[in-house]
Amino acid sequence: MPGMWRIGLSLGRMSDEALLSGLATGDPELVVAFVRRFQRNVFGVALAVLGDTQLAEDVAQQTFERAWRHAQVYDPRRGSVRGWLTAIAHNLAIDTARARRARPVDPEDLDAMLGVVTETPERRALADDDAERVRRAVAQLPEEQARALVMAGIYGMTAREVADSEHVPLGTAKTRIRTGTLKVRTLLESEEKR
Amino acid sequence: MSGMECERLRELDAELALGVLPARERAEAVAHLDRCPECRERVGRLTAVGDGLLALLPRAEPPVGFESRVVTALGAAPVPKRRRRYRLRLAAAGAAAAVACGFGGWTVATVVEGAPAATSQHTDGGLREAALVSAGHEVGRIYAHTGDGGWVYMSVDLGSHARGPVRCLLVHADGSTTPAGSFPLHDGYGYWGAPAGTDTAAVTGARLTAPDGTVLATAHFSE
Ligand SMILES: [Zn+2]
Repeated sequence: MPGMWRIGLSLGRMSDEALLSGLATGDPELVVAFVRRFQRNVFGVALAVLGDTQLAEDVAQQTFERAWRHAQVYDPRRGSVRGWLTAIAHNLAIDTARARRARPVDPEDLDAMLGVVTETPERRALADDDAERVRRAVAQLPEEQARALVMAGIYGMTAREVADSEHVPLGTAKTRIRTGTLKVRTLLESEEKR
Repeated sequence: MSGMECERLRELDAELALGVLPARERAEAVAHLDRCPECRERVGRLTAVGDGLLALLPRAEPPVGFESRVVTALGAAPVPKRRRRYRLRLAAAGAAAAVACGFGGWTVATVVEGAPAATSQHTDGGLREAALVSAGHEVGRIYAHTGDGGWVYMSVDLGSHARGPVRCLLVHADGSTTPAGSFPLHDGYGYWGAPAGTDTAAVTGARLTAPDGTVLATAHFSE
């Protein structure tokens, strides 16, 4: 089997799923290739939620440890490896944030994050992948719904925490989260059909 | 299923999908999803919003040395020059089932981790593994990935006297074999992966042979 002589030769061409399966063997070359492929993604999620390099690094490391322990049960029918790692990193980051901070999120950080998830520069407006569809959909929301959606979906704030932070009744916060989520879903589905 | 319960769940579906429902309500909601395919389908579609938001987060370069710290933490480095102990971590069955729970979206799946009565419908797919055995001793592991066109991986430690290249044959239920390829040994140790070239779900085992045809190790996948 020429070209398959050593796994090292084919690491770069291995699919994400194949590389994850290889992670379970615990071999240095496979582990390094796996970490190298996903570390910017995983660290980026942790840093966005935590805003602290040291905490984000701890969370990113825990994410890879968890992925390693659970590599056997990853099911490709349920989503991409990247999405799975992102979800693990996000959960760990929110747990860490909850344990660390009294106030859920800094208002300036929230404003910056709103900018990140709604900005549509020229080159991006032309792209038509899933991420850009979500970006356009969030950008179309009324501001209070976009804020509620980012608070809940990215910072992991409960409706009660959103209500306290925005100085609105609990019912209002719940409605904003739900309406924002449903609108984005509807916009996504209508774009998918076109 | 419909009526009061579904009505109540509809109020909570977005918070559930985004993973921010407080524990008690979440447990109630998950119990309902276990019984109600319609609500499960709707929440599954909503999880795409949370997953999509996270996909918008910018990537960032971790601090210098991150990669090697992770590799060390996973026990994969440094590579000893002499014999290495064969090393593998396996997930506890309970934790594994929690991650594999049945309905759509990673957000809900990870949220459900630790919640009672999580269904696990999808434990069949993915990865199969077996010990590679030589003279009654485990000398390595072999993994067969059933998705993605079928891949096999293995790592073996056959002792410093062993010489490669090692040939890998995949064994079917009727005893027939498919050659998967061959790989070299370094100081008796080797690891390798390749497309299986056959339906890995139908493979019952594997055989590693020396260049002269001597069987070095065998593996049997349990059903
Ligand atoms: Zn229902």
